[in-house]
Amino acid sequence: MNRQRRRHLEQRVFTTIMRLSLFLALGVLGLILVTVVRKGLGALSWNMLTQSSTGGYYLGSDEGGILNAILGSLYLAAGATALALAAGVPVVIYLHAYLGRSRLADLIRLAFDVLWGIPSIVYGAFAFTLMLLAGMRASLLGGILTLALVVLPILVRAMDEVVRLVPSELRESTLALGTTRLEMARILLRQTLPGLATAALLAFGRAIGDAAAVLFTAGYTDHMPDSLGRPVASLPLAIFFQLSSPFPAVQARAYASALVLTALILAISLLARLSMRALSKHVVR
Amino acid sequence: MAQRSAHMVVSDLNVWYGDQHALKNISVDIPRRQITAIVGPSGCGKSTLLKSLNRLAEIGGARISGRVLLDGVDIYDPAIDVTSIRARVGLLAQKPCPLPLSIYDNVAYGPRIHGLGIGRLDDLVRAYLQAAELWDEVKDRLKAPATGLSLGQQQRLCLARALAVQPEILLCDESTSALDPISARAVEDLLSGLKRDYTVVVVTHDLAQARRLGDHVIFLWLGELVEQGPAARVFAQPAQARTQAYLAGEIG
Repeated sequence: MNRQRRRHLEQRVFTTIMRLSLFLALGVLGLILVTVVRKGLGALSWNMLTQSSTGGYYLGSDEGGILNAILGSLYLAAGATALALAAGVPVVIYLHAYLGRSRLADLIRLAFDVLWGIPSIVYGAFAFTLMLLAGMRASLLGGILTLALVVLPILVRAMDEVVRLVPSELRESTLALGTTRLEMARILLRQTLPGLATAALLAFGRAIGDAAAVLFTAGYTDHMPDSLGRPVASLPLAIFFQLSSPFPAVQARAYASALVLTALILAISLLARLSMRALSKHVVR
Repeated sequence: MAQRSAHMVVSDLNVWYGDQHALKNISVDIPRRQITAIVGPSGCGKSTLLKSLNRLAEIGGARISGRVLLDGVDIYDPAIDVTSIRARVGLLAQKPCPLPLSIYDNVAYGPRIHGLGIGRLDDLVRAYLQAAELWDEVKDRLKAPATGLSLGQQQRLCLARALAVQPEILLCDESTSALDPISARAVEDLLSGLKRDYTVVVVTHDLAQARRLGDHVIFLWLGELVEQGPAARVFAQPAQARTQAYLAGEIG
């Protein structure tokens, strides 16, 4: 075989592999969506979205719904993301404006990478131990604190990578105006605002979908969330409990709940895309 | 004469990036209200020397020894406030780098943080946009994002922004090299007019530009100072063989 033909064959083989991989990855995503919609759509009802789990909901009664879990999940994820942002933004500013390209900065990044890799059930167990020591019960506050720990490394590393992409010329040009490091950091944050929003969203998506971290720390309840100090329901756990039910009607509602969770995440992603366009108005390049 | 009116005096400056000795025992003068051109082949330390003049080199992780005097005061004195040094010694970067703000806010940024022109910010912004010959092009869209401007306009905006801080010295790091020839010439003409009020230091690998702009020339070679002096003398009668060879295009 001559060289020319071999090169073309090589190219064809590898494009086929790439297309197959793409098909597999998207195919799995499509299958998940199809399954959730096919098995869940039938069980989805207006009652489910507008009522709390009252009466014989878990016994298959037509009364009741998962509004308590929907709201609970939104509160948990929003609280955790806000808390993680409050702790994460200063970390990122410190990394970029004060530590720069130092060994210490690399060590800190490594530490966050390790934290990222820790399973959320470990965070749950750790936070639960602390809560017991502090005399706290499973509660909305406990869940928010635990989820904030889970998403903090994700948020910090995602924001860190975004800020790292800022060209060094922008840092230098800003500092050359006689700015303090903090003032320069403000410019960096402004430049990376769309990316930071994406990072926050990534964290929100992770927080709203996590079951293990909230299992012990937020507990579960049929009541609507009404206080930081009381247990709160969440969608992942609602799916888990309904799926473990012996009643087929309740099992079907697990898929309906999964559909709701998926739709929520989809809606948030779309919102993010839209808001990003507004945020990138001033961004260089 | 240079000694008497030197605005900045660099003595025994050494700069390292890790193990790399980027600048070796550099001692040069930057004459006041003249244009000093730093020339030499790529990687000879031109930008490093330039950025040592307002302590930007250390941001990139450089280790520095020696003295850099600004009107007799060592800018590397640990007691000195580095933001005040950079407010006096501005920079026009290689690539246009507007802040992620509106055109107006880009120019107003410096005056705002330094508390200049309180109550007459509009006039100040207008004056510096005019100084950068950009006012007529942007006066109707001051609130528009700076990124909507062409590259040449962006670079003139960056010049207006740098001047609005009211520095004494302006450092230009190959500030025309990323621009099209017409925009480059416009920026170059602006720079040559600045020496009435400012001390200007330009880094360039474009010898023709150095000849057009430079009053004083510093020639670097692999981190060492080969020659410095009045441009007319250095270009007409270089004292060093290496300068001669570089000017003739035989090396570099």
